[in-house]
Amino acid sequence: MAHPPAKDRCVARGVTKAYGNNPILRGIDLQIPEGSFAVLVGPSGCGKSTLLRAVAGLETVDGGTITLGDRDVTALPPRDRDVAMVFQSYALYPHLTVRDNLAFGLELRKTPKDIIAARVAEASTMLGLDPLLERLPKQLSGGQRQRVAMGRAVVRRAQLYLFDEPLSNLDAALRAEVRVEIRKLHERIGATTLYVTHDQVEAMTLADTLWVLHGGKVAQSGPPLDVYERPNSLFVAGFLGSPKINLLPGTLAFQGNRWSANERASEPGNYQFRVDEDRFAAGLQEGRSVTIGVRPQDVAVAHGDDPVFGQLTVDLVEALGSEGLAHGDLGGTPFVARLDAEEARTVKPKSRVPLTVKAHRVHLFDPSTEKAL
Amino acid sequence: MSPPKERVPLWVSIGSHTVLAAATLFAVYPVLWVISLAFSAGGDAPEPRVVPFPAHPTLENFKQFVGLDHAGGFALFLGQLGNSLIVSLATALVAVVIATPASYALARLPFFGKEGALRTLFATQMFPAVASAVPLYVLLEHLHLLDARSGLVLVYATTAIPFAIFQLKGAIETIPVDLEEAAMVDGATRFQAFVKVVLPAARPAIAVTALFAFMSAWNEFILAATLLSRKSAFTLPIVLQSYVGEHLANWGVFAAGALLVSAPVMILFYIVQRQLISGLTAGGVKG
Amino acid sequence: MNVAFLGLSQRNRYVVLGIALSAITVGCGPEKPSIFVWHAYRGDEEKALEQATRRWEEKTGNHVDLLAIPHGAYAAKLEAAIPHGHGPDLFIDAHERLGSFVRDGLVAKVDDKEIQAFAAEGAARRSLTVAGKGYGFPLASKGLALIVNRQFVPNKPASFEALFHGTYPAGIKPLAYEIQSSYGQAPFVHAFGSHFIAADGTFGFVGEPAEKSLDLVAGWQKRGVVVPDADGALVSQLFAAERVAAVISGPWFLADFSAKFPIDVYPLPPLYVPADVPAAGAPASTSDGPLPRPFLTVEAAFLTPDGAARPEVHDLANFLATDPESLRLRATVGKQVVALAAGVDLPATTVAFGKVADQAELTPTSPAMRATWVPVEQALKKVLRGDATSHDAVLEAGRRFADATKPPLQGEPPPKKTPLFVVFGMLLLGAVFAAIKQAKQTDIRAELRRSKTAYAYVTHAAIIVALLVVAPLVAGAATSLYAGTRSDPTYVGFTNYIAILTARGGALLGHGSFYLTLLVTVLWTIINVFFHVSIGLLLGVVLSRESLRLKPLYRTLLILPWAIPSYVTALSWKGMFHKQYGAVNGILHFFGVAPVSWFSKFSTAFTANITTNVWLGFPFMMVVTMGALTSIPKDVLEAADVDGATPWQRFRYVTLPLLRPALLPSVALGAVWTFNMFNVVFLVSEGEPDGTTDILVSDAYRWAFTRDAQYGYAAAYAVVIFGILFLGSRALQWLGERFSGTSEASK
Repeated sequence: MAHPPAKDRCVARGVTKAYGNNPILRGIDLQIPEGSFAVLVGPSGCGKSTLLRAVAGLETVDGGTITLGDRDVTALPPRDRDVAMVFQSYALYPHLTVRDNLAFGLELRKTPKDIIAARVAEASTMLGLDPLLERLPKQLSGGQRQRVAMGRAVVRRAQLYLFDEPLSNLDAALRAEVRVEIRKLHERIGATTLYVTHDQVEAMTLADTLWVLHGGKVAQSGPPLDVYERPNSLFVAGFLGSPKINLLPGTLAFQGNRWSANERASEPGNYQFRVDEDRFAAGLQEGRSVTIGVRPQDVAVAHGDDPVFGQLTVDLVEALGSEGLAHGDLGGTPFVARLDAEEARTVKPKSRVPLTVKAHRVHLFDPSTEKAL
Repeated sequence: MSPPKERVPLWVSIGSHTVLAAATLFAVYPVLWVISLAFSAGGDAPEPRVVPFPAHPTLENFKQFVGLDHAGGFALFLGQLGNSLIVSLATALVAVVIATPASYALARLPFFGKEGALRTLFATQMFPAVASAVPLYVLLEHLHLLDARSGLVLVYATTAIPFAIFQLKGAIETIPVDLEEAAMVDGATRFQAFVKVVLPAARPAIAVTALFAFMSAWNEFILAATLLSRKSAFTLPIVLQSYVGEHLANWGVFAAGALLVSAPVMILFYIVQRQLISGLTAGGVKG
Repeated sequence: MNVAFLGLSQRNRYVVLGIALSAITVGCGPEKPSIFVWHAYRGDEEKALEQATRRWEEKTGNHVDLLAIPHGAYAAKLEAAIPHGHGPDLFIDAHERLGSFVRDGLVAKVDDKEIQAFAAEGAARRSLTVAGKGYGFPLASKGLALIVNRQFVPNKPASFEALFHGTYPAGIKPLAYEIQSSYGQAPFVHAFGSHFIAADGTFGFVGEPAEKSLDLVAGWQKRGVVVPDADGALVSQLFAAERVAAVISGPWFLADFSAKFPIDVYPLPPLYVPADVPAAGAPASTSDGPLPRPFLTVEAAFLTPDGAARPEVHDLANFLATDPESLRLRATVGKQVVALAAGVDLPATTVAFGKVADQAELTPTSPAMRATWVPVEQALKKVLRGDATSHDAVLEAGRRFADATKPPLQGEPPPKKTPLFVVFGMLLLGAVFAAIKQAKQTDIRAELRRSKTAYAYVTHAAIIVALLVVAPLVAGAATSLYAGTRSDPTYVGFTNYIAILTARGGALLGHGSFYLTLLVTVLWTIINVFFHVSIGLLLGVVLSRESLRLKPLYRTLLILPWAIPSYVTALSWKGMFHKQYGAVNGILHFFGVAPVSWFSKFSTAFTANITTNVWLGFPFMMVVTMGALTSIPKDVLEAADVDGATPWQRFRYVTLPLLRPALLPSVALGAVWTFNMFNVVFLVSEGEPDGTTDILVSDAYRWAFTRDAQYGYAAAYAVVIFGILFLGSRALQWLGERFSGTSEASK
């Protein structure tokens, strides 16, 4: 985010777009530094695909500008923007062989034949498409099609590579595999990439910069771990992380030199969290209502002198092998906690389990603005 | 890759074949009468018959129709066959060439007047042709296209175009927009995307549309007889129809001719069977 | 890009394209001016004409371009071509259409001197005279005579009664002729002193004489002495197969008849003579009965206004009509009954046909003649069926004729020239208003800018469709505001529409009224579409089963009805519905059902039409269904199976709803086509019985072509049909939207 504008390969400024009276993009600002991998993520309808298509030139925008390299491309058609795109449906030309699919874009640009051949060969080797070159798309499996779609982008040497949920049509195992391939590919050719997904695992693992979109606006952006660890709003906190973050009502209190957030702390079965005073210093006021966010992964069963923030009344334990999830109730609010494999075996439903959490893993939000304190 | 064959209960199998056999009989029976008539010598006694089979099979009717019974007749027939082929193929070509871009725009692009255009097009199908024949003649006269194959092609193409547009519009709507967008991102203009991606993908539908246009031109005789005034320029349906006179008709030759005239259409049908089925997938007409 | 192109390489495609384009642009090249002659002859008559013409060419060194035009398109072609100067120099047609030809200016007057050169007072001369002026050169005459098989009828029968009382082998009827046609009835109409058109130009088929003629033939049919239900083809078939002793037919009969047995031709004998054994109940007569007098048609070579300007055309016409060589060729090769036969040896049969002229009634040339055939024929058929007494039938025929020829306007004729512009102006105004209305709703400039790309794709098609489809339709629709003939139209405003919508002043649901016909048309459309869709769906679904054997075979055979021109197969169906010899009754007989006279009752005639049209139409829906089925994802059907749906439930609740959006447009188009499907009605039932199975379109055609050429009225009909379809489709669409809206909400 601290990149000087000159180094940004793609910049969107104040982009707006509406379909009739229905605003889709409400002033998006976006920068993608040269050679970096940006991921647009958000729930369906947040405008991420529209933004991608606007960058590609497949949608016109109502306001704002889009710059690629040092050119303002806002009014240019897709072919003059020098972008390559991988579609969710792959959009392979059904009447062309894999080889011709790969070469299509280069041929349109009247690239010399020998260069086409070299680029196609290079891409096909890189993606393991060599044995498939003479086949038609309908003779390929889903994964193979996906690789052809990527190959078609790779041969292009475009300024910017766009991916529109490219993995959503693959099964889980293949998805993980291709995800890694995409990242490797990116590192190898150093392509500036804008990638749209609704899958947060993809978003987290692939992104250099994560852009969370919500309601046609950028909700938060930054390196993925930063966003994950310091969500700036209830929405971002809730959107990233699986299982979802636990949200509890609470009140700020200053007790014994410490700030805490609690709910009827004196009553049994309720909770009291220590607060990261450095992070939230500006928002700490005695008696202020807050929403407390705690990720299931960040809590643990308290042992020894671990500070206990509350007792979870367990309803159900999900054992996932390497770990487990305890679903239960904390002070009248549903709550999920991660357990390690051993605990998943021993914790029984109806039991009460003491839980602990590190103070810097406790997120506080203003219940009315839904922003982080 | 093929899915495992589902096991079909015997009664379903028998049932389907019964239905199909009955329908086929229904479809073929009247045609058998035409065939029987075509192979009959004149003079067979009229009998109440159920099985269509000529009493004395002969090829005379066919010989007469193709002009083998008199000198120069066969050459004339071949010329007229050529006319029919040229006119019908050209009609198919012109109809498809004109209808395809228009149906692409109607299927894909927003434009002012689109609804009105579609309604008008559908409305033209509702107007009985009885009213427009004479104005059409006058129009062709002004264009100096009377008695020219090109004029006939124009007339046929215009009757074929509205249907072709509906047909192709439906087909193009089923082609994923992604393909064109991919092409445009790959560096194609919209027109290049249309030519290099949409057209190939719509090929089955285009083939079927062409077949319809071909058929409508191939079988038509009233306009052809009205517009053409040279024997060597006649198309086969005119020749066929000339065996039905004011007082007496030569039904044997008429039937033989009908079979010969239908044969190319049947062959085309057979060839494009598969496309026929997928091509009509979305014969989409929205009023 | 058509089928043949699919396999070709890019370059070859362009080559083929080039060839195709150059092939169509090669029209007619310039030729040295020759004489163009049109005719509707075929077979021997055509050969004779060709040979005679060649003789003249050899003699004079001129070049003649002969063109045979199918009878079905002949009149329309003449009417279209000649007024625009694209007609022939000379054409051959029957004299009875001369009245309209003169009225429409299609023929040129022939100089009296020229006619005097060859024609004395006589039938031929009279036939070609209109309002005291002569037109055309007579070539041949056609009239009905009695043709007998000499094996059964060795001598000339003294009378029809004598013919009927002859002794014949078992299974042989005395007589066959086209008993149900007004042309076949004409000799008997005239025999009793009645007429089709009376001398004063009014309808002549009235009163007791007309009734007597109907009773006469109905009596014959009852006695079983004539073959009922015979058309021309059957008459000649029966005669050739030696199943009837005698037939009534014209000279054309001999052209296609190759004799395996000796025949004789006689002019029609009297109905009875004193020597006859009287028929049951009839008194023995003391004198010869009435003499049947057939219509006599003279075929002549007519000069068009263009041709009349060229002396060599006169010479050709004269040669064809009078030169002995031409006469000989036409008589021997063409088996024509040449009109001016002086000094030529003719075959005996031709001579016999020639004598027909002596007792024949010349077919009137009055244009109103055209409107008499149908009323007479309907009266005849009604009486033959036993549906009406001859008295009522004759009265009804009179009403029909009056109705068909009634000028739509009785008041003062409004101004003449301006209206066409008014119509176009009004249409233009409407379009402008619509555009303004739209423009108000949206920012038209932005809209137009946005549309720029699209216009590049649609403009050429829009121009062509507007020019060649919409403009002729609008121009055609504009003629609905006129009455009278094409050459002399009168602007009548909305009179035609008012006449249609008020059922021409008759009962609103009366016989043959617009509303009754509309009702029949709607019924026709609904039943047809129902069967098209249900049969098409059934077959489409069955044919889409994956493991079906013989699929390509079934598919190809089931498409047959679609591939063969419908004007051929419709006739095949008509033959199959023939009462005596049709296959349908043959099959019914097999199941012990008595033969059905298909075209004598509305219900059965309508059934026959529907059967034919269902046959013609189901393949389209079948193919559409198969196509639509390929777009239904398989897993949805599997899901239904897993949910325990029976095949029927699966079809009803899963397949059908998914098919609906793909089928609806085709069904809509199919309904429109069916509504306007006049081929079947025209060819199969021909409106029988009594015009009740006519639908709106076939009725419109009748107004245009058989009822005194009321083109304006027919055009008004077309516009009304258009209006009904347009409003109907909008209403259905509206209903559909409402219906689907509520059904989706309830899900």
